Amino acid sequence: MDFTFSPEHIALRRMIREFAENEVAPIAAEIDRDHQVPMETMRKLGQVGLLGVCFPQEYGGMGAGEMGYCILMEEINRVCTSTGTNVGAHIGIGAMAIYLDGNDEQKRRYLIPLARGEQFAAFGLTESGAGSDAAAIRTRAVREGDSWILDGGKVFITNGGYADVVTVMAVTDPALGARGGITAFIVETDWEGFKVAREEDKMGIRGTSTAELVFEELRVPHENVLGKVGEGFVTFMKSLDMGRLTLGAACIGGAEMALESAVRWAKTRRQFGAELASKQAIQWKIADIATELEALRSLVYRVAWLVDTGQPFGQLAAMCKLYGSEVASRAIDIALQIHGGLGFSRDFPLERGFRDARIGEIYEGTSEVQRIVIASNIFREHGVRIRP
Amino acid sequence: MRIIVILGRVLDPSGIVVKGSAGRIFVNREEYLIQPADACALEAALRIKDGMAAEVVALPRSPLPDDDILRQAIARGADRAIYLTGPALKAADEAAMTGVLTAAIERLGGADLVLIGSTTLDTGQGQLGLRLAEALGGAQITGAWQVSSADGQVQAVLQRNGRYVAVEADPPVVVTLLPGALKLRYPDGVRLINVYRGVGEVGDALEAWDAADLVDEAALTPLVESRGKEFAPERERGVRASGTPAEMAQAAADALRQRMRR
Amino acid sequence: MDFTFSEEQEMFRAMFRDFSAKEIAPQAEELDHEEKPALGALRKAAQQGFLGATLPEEYFGAELDYTSYAMLIETLAADSVSTAVTLATHVSLVAMSILNHGTPEQREEWLPLLAAGEVIGAFALTEPDAGSDVQAVATRATPDGDQVTLDGVKTWVANGEIAGLFLVFAQGAEGMDAYLVPQDTPGLTVGYREPTLGLRSATFNTLYLEGCRVSEANRLGQPGEGGSIAQQAQDRMAVALAAAGLGVSENAIQVAAQYATERVQFGVPIAQKQAIQGYIAEAKIEVEALRYLVYHAAWLVDQRGDYGFDASVVKAFGARVARSVTNRMVQVMGGYGYMEDYPMARKYRDARALHIIGGPTELHDFQIAQRIFADLDMDIAP
Ligand SMILES: Cc1cc2nc3c(=O)[nH]c(=O)nc-3n(C[C@H](O)[C@H](O)[C@H](O)COP(=O)(O)OP(=O)(O)OC[C@H]3O[C@@H](n4cnc5c(N)ncnc54)[C@H](O)[C@@H]3O)c2cc1C
Ligand SMILES: Cc1cc2nc3c(=O)[nH]c(=O)nc-3n(C[C@H](O)[C@H](O)[C@H](O)COP(=O)(O)OP(=O)(O)OC[C@H]3O[C@@H](n4cnc5c(N)ncnc54)[C@H](O)[C@@H]3O)c2cc1C
Repeated sequence: MDFTFSPEHIALRRMIREFAENEVAPIAAEIDRDHQVPMETMRKLGQVGLLGVCFPQEYGGMGAGEMGYCILMEEINRVCTSTGTNVGAHIGIGAMAIYLDGNDEQKRRYLIPLARGEQFAAFGLTESGAGSDAAAIRTRAVREGDSWILDGGKVFITNGGYADVVTVMAVTDPALGARGGITAFIVETDWEGFKVAREEDKMGIRGTSTAELVFEELRVPHENVLGKVGEGFVTFMKSLDMGRLTLGAACIGGAEMALESAVRWAKTRRQFGAELASKQAIQWKIADIATELEALRSLVYRVAWLVDTGQPFGQLAAMCKLYGSEVASRAIDIALQIHGGLGFSRDFPLERGFRDARIGEIYEGTSEVQRIVIASNIFREHGVRIRP
Repeated sequence: MRIIVILGRVLDPSGIVVKGSAGRIFVNREEYLIQPADACALEAALRIKDGMAAEVVALPRSPLPDDDILRQAIARGADRAIYLTGPALKAADEAAMTGVLTAAIERLGGADLVLIGSTTLDTGQGQLGLRLAEALGGAQITGAWQVSSADGQVQAVLQRNGRYVAVEADPPVVVTLLPGALKLRYPDGVRLINVYRGVGEVGDALEAWDAADLVDEAALTPLVESRGKEFAPERERGVRASGTPAEMAQAAADALRQRMRR
Repeated sequence: MDFTFSEEQEMFRAMFRDFSAKEIAPQAEELDHEEKPALGALRKAAQQGFLGATLPEEYFGAELDYTSYAMLIETLAADSVSTAVTLATHVSLVAMSILNHGTPEQREEWLPLLAAGEVIGAFALTEPDAGSDVQAVATRATPDGDQVTLDGVKTWVANGEIAGLFLVFAQGAEGMDAYLVPQDTPGLTVGYREPTLGLRSATFNTLYLEGCRVSEANRLGQPGEGGSIAQQAQDRMAVALAAAGLGVSENAIQVAAQYATERVQFGVPIAQKQAIQGYIAEAKIEVEALRYLVYHAAWLVDQRGDYGFDASVVKAFGARVARSVTNRMVQVMGGYGYMEDYPMARKYRDARALHIIGGPTELHDFQIAQRIFADLDMDIAP
């Protein structure tokens, strides 16, 4: 076993940290307050190559693998969860679906500008009646000659308000359902029939766009079918597996930020004639966050290594997301508490961190869905099939 | 146009905590950066290259234990970098480095422009640029904010007596840059990964040259010999005042009075 | 023991519910988003006598027992924790301090105004360097004939922007003193409003006292009695805050449970899933335990004994329950729990305050342990 990062990944982390501290950290509070997607920063991320971090160089990427992408997610989320979420929806699930199942032509046409940050992607799965139960989607796609006509809509789509490309899952054969009846499409948002119907007002990650999308007789050429007709569900589930891992990486960043600020404050703040750091009630909290953080870090990077070495990882990716989101929430909660009244103030980043962290247990499959995935994998090995 | 950039490294100050009460420096994270003023020199070189055909070659300012900052330079856009090695180089001072660098530049086919930081962050070292200018026999411009090149000449902007002045010289020119003059660009992701992996377009951009092949041993003998360290006498501790502003002012006045009496 | 509520108490509860549903609930969300205090509702609350809830009738109070008052706070918090905190600050921290420690003149002067809502009360104890450590209060009270000059800075003063009367704690010659300082006293400035995570329809301000002169007659209690006045007020407040925690938790369960019956995934309402059932059941267990702690502590307040220990217990538990219940109920609502146009996100943000406001949970933990070890003849320091 070798638990060291390669020189290129160490150099990559330093590059990302430099970028994050200089370009992302300074805008984090502002984009939360103003409910703004940091477009300029997103573009800059693309210019230096970071939005293609995990894609091959032939498709405009950096070729740093899933390991590199996890490093990106950790470092960006350490300073700003909103920007981290924008990046995650763009690369981790949106573009990832095209990378995983797109043909060469689709990758050249779409993946290259996405990897360079010249265009942005979103991942369109959830509908108002289909959240955890993704197979319950209703958006319909009907074949008409060389095209498909899409009707329906999606809710809660991150990047939906500004994306250029959305990977959309639609029903192509209602009789077959998730097994053979659902197809993935690459949709360009300036096509006629595509509409952004609404932007959500959220508790946290307010520097992201969460949009409702409506499709009315949206004509998609047949060449934009992603993967095979009828196999869209598999494409989306594969993308989500990758997304779950990298959400775990994002949570390392959130928990790190919490730990760093808790330590900083505990050594500065004096009450009862001594630094908070001298009190066991505080020390125990710090020790707990640090321990969970290390456990999470080990899990996430191990799974990244599994992905990069072509080994199965789905079960562990679900654990990354489940455990990571809970660790990040706990860490932020503790850090906020150590700040006392100031933790409750929007003038300090803990408050934002607290609102932001809460999303981790909800999106890209709730904690309950992760537990269902994990338990059914275990029971399957014992010959028991579990229904959600 | 061939531009030589001379780079040094320094321990990242953000990874260090100085604890006065313990009389110690704690190194939490041992990471090295390109010397801030040298980073400006690199950026100046890359900006010239952005606008015209130019080759940017990075060389080390002093013996380096590894080639990391040279890879960093390539990741950020330098075409080549030469890592100078050899046991004889270990103790090299500015005079010896001047000899080695001059020979290296010669082997590269000479330079039109040499860019280097005017000073180092840790040791305050500022001789190397001047020595190089002398050794290469060209013009020198010290303490520049900006450098550019047009019409076969090198232009620079300096600050003299509170005013900005533009100067111009014929190549070869050595220009030293002030720290903070320019913000060094981010690495390019693809170059970064490839230069560390040693693949692709930048795969052989980094070369290692043995100093012994460049100059004879005598030239590497340092002029300066270190015979030990001595520190300035410890200063008296200050006085900490607390209470209302009036009380603090009183305490400060009392302390001053006492000190004057002594 | 008798765990039933009196007929009168049941009647009050119905009345509170009615009031809250009509006056608080409809605008709670909007006021939270606009970060505005519920001034209209407070005026209506005054008409109902709620702003003098526990004050005797001679001061135009409603003369409620503390249990009924706890019910009032609980009920209001179900719809708006901000308004519950505003009212509890006014009644538990300010009005009842005057009632318990004031001279007849002070009571005559202030209690009818507070009961009528013509004056809103605020409680100024915390300072930048004195949060958990109340003894570190640095605001000074300097005597000057029959006047006293107050100098210092107070932070996190609830109701700061809407208050007419501030109960200010300052160090005097014999220890901590408490002063009643009307809002229009020269030298008193209400400053910076904290932008907060939750409780956004309540205001928390910095208070500047610069050469602020009040009459000696404005001192509440004896010289040096301020520390004890503050502690008693904080104990009463602790019970009220726990009641607020109870209210917001109960309501969160109701809202989420209702949602779980309507939200269909995998072909069935999510209420059919054991994960959801488990969340609701665990939350309910905590809420029921909290309920009896709250009413017991409220009853103790009326017994006028020393209930400091019970106040810490109920406050610490109330904070924990509110935090964990709202957290789970957000989860039950999935993505909708994260949206600001559903009430759950607000409850979640509001509930987080309870671990800090009224003294952080670590401080209550300490006070609880302190009592236990004191019984074993051992002194412990925070
Ligand atoms: C800010 C934000 C961004 C998002 N971005 C995207 C995006 O980019 N693309 C996209 O496609 N979607 C996106 N989503 C949607 C997100 O993935 C869903 O919200 C999530 O999958 C949960 O679905 P739901 O909200 O409908 O909750 P529901 O599925 O209704 O779940 C409600 C509750 O019931 C539980 N539950 C459901 N079924 C079961 C069961 N069988 N057993 C036990 N418990 C169960 C859930 O865990 C949850 O606690 C986003 C959501 C948010 C809030
Ligand atoms: C919404 C809100 C409303 C408020 N309203 C009012 C008001 O109306 N009037 C008023 O006077 N004040 C008010 N406060 C202030 C509140 O009482 C203080 O914030 C609280 O007492 C904590 O003080 P602090 O913020 O200075 O935190 P600190 O005292 O600095 O504490 C920071 C952290 O360290 C912990 N800690 C401190 N000492 C120890 C120790 N010895 N051992 C272990 N842990 C320790 C604390 O528990 C906390 O977690 C309000 C606060 C909030 C958030």
